[in-house]
Amino acid sequence: MPPTPAPLVSLRDVSYAYPSSTAPVLRDLSFDIAPGEIVALLGPSGAGKTTLCLALMGIVPQFYRGRFFGELVVDGQDVLTEPIHALSRSVGLVLQDPAAQLVTASVENEVAFALENAALTASEIRERVAAALTAVGLEALAKKHPHELSGGQQQRLALAAALAQQPPLIVLDEPTSQLDPASTEEVFALIRRLNASHGTTFLVASHAMEEVAATATRALVLDAGRLAADAPVAEVIRDPALFPRLHLRRPEVTQAYAELAAHGLWPADQSWPCTLAEGMAGLTQLPPAQPFQPAPPAAPDRGSPILALRDVTHTYPDGTTALRKINLEIPRGEYCLLIGENGAGKSTLLQHFLNLLRPTAGDVLIDGVSLSDFKVAELARRIGYVPQNPDQQLFNATVEDEVAFSLQNTDLTPDEKSARLEQALAAMNLEHLRAAHPFSLSKGDRARVVIAAVLSLDPEVLIFDEPTTGQDAAGARAILDLTRDLHAKGRTIVIVTHHLYLMPEYARRVMVMGEGQLLLDAPVREAFHATELLARTAVRPTQAVALARASHPQNRAISPAEFVASFAREEASP
Amino acid sequence: MSAPTWTTATRQTAFSALDFRAKLAVFFTATFAAVIWDNPWLNLGLAAGIGGGCLAVGIPGAYLRLIAKVMTPFFALLLITHGFFNVQHVQRLLDGRDLTALFTVPESIWVFGGATFSREGALFGLNAIAKSLTFLLLVPLCVFTTDPNHLVVSLVRLKLPYKLAFVLTSTLRFFPLIFEEIQAVIRTQRLRGFAAEDLSPVQRLRVYAKVAVPVILGALHKAQQTEVVLQAKGFSGSSHRTYLYEAKLSSLDYGVIALTASALILAIVIAPTLGQFTG
Repeated sequence: MPPTPAPLVSLRDVSYAYPSSTAPVLRDLSFDIAPGEIVALLGPSGAGKTTLCLALMGIVPQFYRGRFFGELVVDGQDVLTEPIHALSRSVGLVLQDPAAQLVTASVENEVAFALENAALTASEIRERVAAALTAVGLEALAKKHPHELSGGQQQRLALAAALAQQPPLIVLDEPTSQLDPASTEEVFALIRRLNASHGTTFLVASHAMEEVAATATRALVLDAGRLAADAPVAEVIRDPALFPRLHLRRPEVTQAYAELAAHGLWPADQSWPCTLAEGMAGLTQLPPAQPFQPAPPAAPDRGSPILALRDVTHTYPDGTTALRKINLEIPRGEYCLLIGENGAGKSTLLQHFLNLLRPTAGDVLIDGVSLSDFKVAELARRIGYVPQNPDQQLFNATVEDEVAFSLQNTDLTPDEKSARLEQALAAMNLEHLRAAHPFSLSKGDRARVVIAAVLSLDPEVLIFDEPTTGQDAAGARAILDLTRDLHAKGRTIVIVTHHLYLMPEYARRVMVMGEGQLLLDAPVREAFHATELLARTAVRPTQAVALARASHPQNRAISPAEFVASFAREEASP
Repeated sequence: MSAPTWTTATRQTAFSALDFRAKLAVFFTATFAAVIWDNPWLNLGLAAGIGGGCLAVGIPGAYLRLIAKVMTPFFALLLITHGFFNVQHVQRLLDGRDLTALFTVPESIWVFGGATFSREGALFGLNAIAKSLTFLLLVPLCVFTTDPNHLVVSLVRLKLPYKLAFVLTSTLRFFPLIFEEIQAVIRTQRLRGFAAEDLSPVQRLRVYAKVAVPVILGALHKAQQTEVVLQAKGFSGSSHRTYLYEAKLSSLDYGVIALTASALILAIVIAPTLGQFTG
């Protein structure tokens, strides 16, 4: 019998508390990771996933200090005693915020930096840089400044920098949080490829459950710092109690089959599929699906559009044309999605709505009046903007000051200001955190502070740029539920997102952008099923849509619940 | 919402392709000449040459305009001070010669009444302005045309400890970071309905004072993040490392260094004659 290889990672009774907190963030963790495994690290926000990722590199506790108990050995090195720069030869780390990881002035130097520190020869550095950039599809951008890249490209660059080190272990903390669906698929495909070709071990903390299910062999689930599960990934995903208890999201295909099983349409003794391929194969065991095509919701009839773009073109000073003759109308009271691949022009379009950019040609109108007639600050009282990265939007010393800041330049009376402040804090469940420093909060809470600050001005239009990025399922749902409440109160909502699977319950209309053009503007159902067009934009149809289309040519279901309904109705009929 | 970066020249030229050590030779020679020369026309010519060089290598016009905007009051003050008040020093340089009055402030003007603005004083002021301009324009000419990574390697090749070279270039990168932090706050304030232009200067100051500490904390938070990232990338400050860019001096670099060495000798040779201030 061949000897069992020594574990690459070994934790024994590891607990850790940050210096500023009394409660431990990691509690009594004990597990091993064998060489060549792909391990998913799952858990709700605040479960300790990022802290564990940092601990594997010795950053916790060597950099952050705090109280560390137990033993953590990586590649034979004790993370408590081995310097971080030495551990970096065994562990490649990719953090959630790619922009924060850029330390040099060109893409190729970014990848080369760690290799230079490891004193590799220049020729080897060149070879590894070229290979890593090719692997992530950035070879054509080698000479660019990293800050010139899009968020998605920066994330791929951070991954390339880790890959180039060729460490035995790569730790990825939400590596695809800012990527479009196609790029997300590519990153996970790359993980699988490197694992197969180089035997690299991966630990991936991610909420991208569809890709996790198709990639990881094993899942570790953290709950409040404790190990809630350690099992093969499919077993963890299929656990009927674990995911609901921790408010985690299953892959859509698993969710759909779980609901089919609950309706007696899938054998109770047969496990639920976890990947799309398994789900597609499972269709043959289901009764025939029925056509499912509810009428689209009527457009809100509230007069003239609140926002309109007329032949808007925008060309940046470097000559890049980001928008090409966009014509668009958003009726008052609409709830729409703006989707498209990274670099499609979505951010440029948003900046036109906010008057941060002016069209090179054409005009942007609010209630028929050109935005050029407004100052940015004036417009902010009508259009609220919740940006993607909350950390760039926090500049006050307490949550209360942050939320109240917007109110100080209004004509409201002190009582009205106070009432608005309380309403905004209550809407985002932040009353108990009002005295906290915004940067002391979790990312999810920081995002809620920014939303509360925007809500305090009570704007008519609310634009959310990737509001669910970095949020767990419960956090994402809380934010989207809030948008639904605001929509119900008459607000116009525009959401930019890559997380299409979250949106069927909320959005009414979808605008698809690609290469600076508006490729489609349609009701949500029609847009989700415009699969050929979506494929051109690196936006993939959701698993529910793929299953629906495979089950019946006229099945236009867009969520697991609708997919199940397309079968359940037949069951219900005599 | 573009992120500010290290300011760079807008185009690649033969000068950009030079090794930083060759550019340092240009920097040193031009600075040395500006220091030892007191002839305003020679110094103005040198400053104009450096300015022309900046334009030729693609230093952004916005940056040059910024220099002009910031320095104009200072230069005006230099001209006025030397033109009106630097009489004894200028006379000493001219062997006690009387200065040529260009105009005299009417006696009725408070404090300055009766003061005479001399041609020689003004020329000496221009000389000081030209010296400052030469130095101010040499920095972007040499630094903005150099890839920061190449800058580090060139400094290391000049026997500067790697840690110091890295800190030096990181400091240059830190300014855009602070600028980015301030810009982000201002943009966010505007997006939250805060119109600074509608407030009085006192109200504006009060608001800015309130957010100054969090802004600095935000920058420190980013700096701490950067430290974590550096360590995670194996950075220890040790000079035992290699470089992607090998920084080998080309024949063009050697040519430029030889040329600047000759120019340095020429500058020293003409300093006692052509380089003198003659009014």
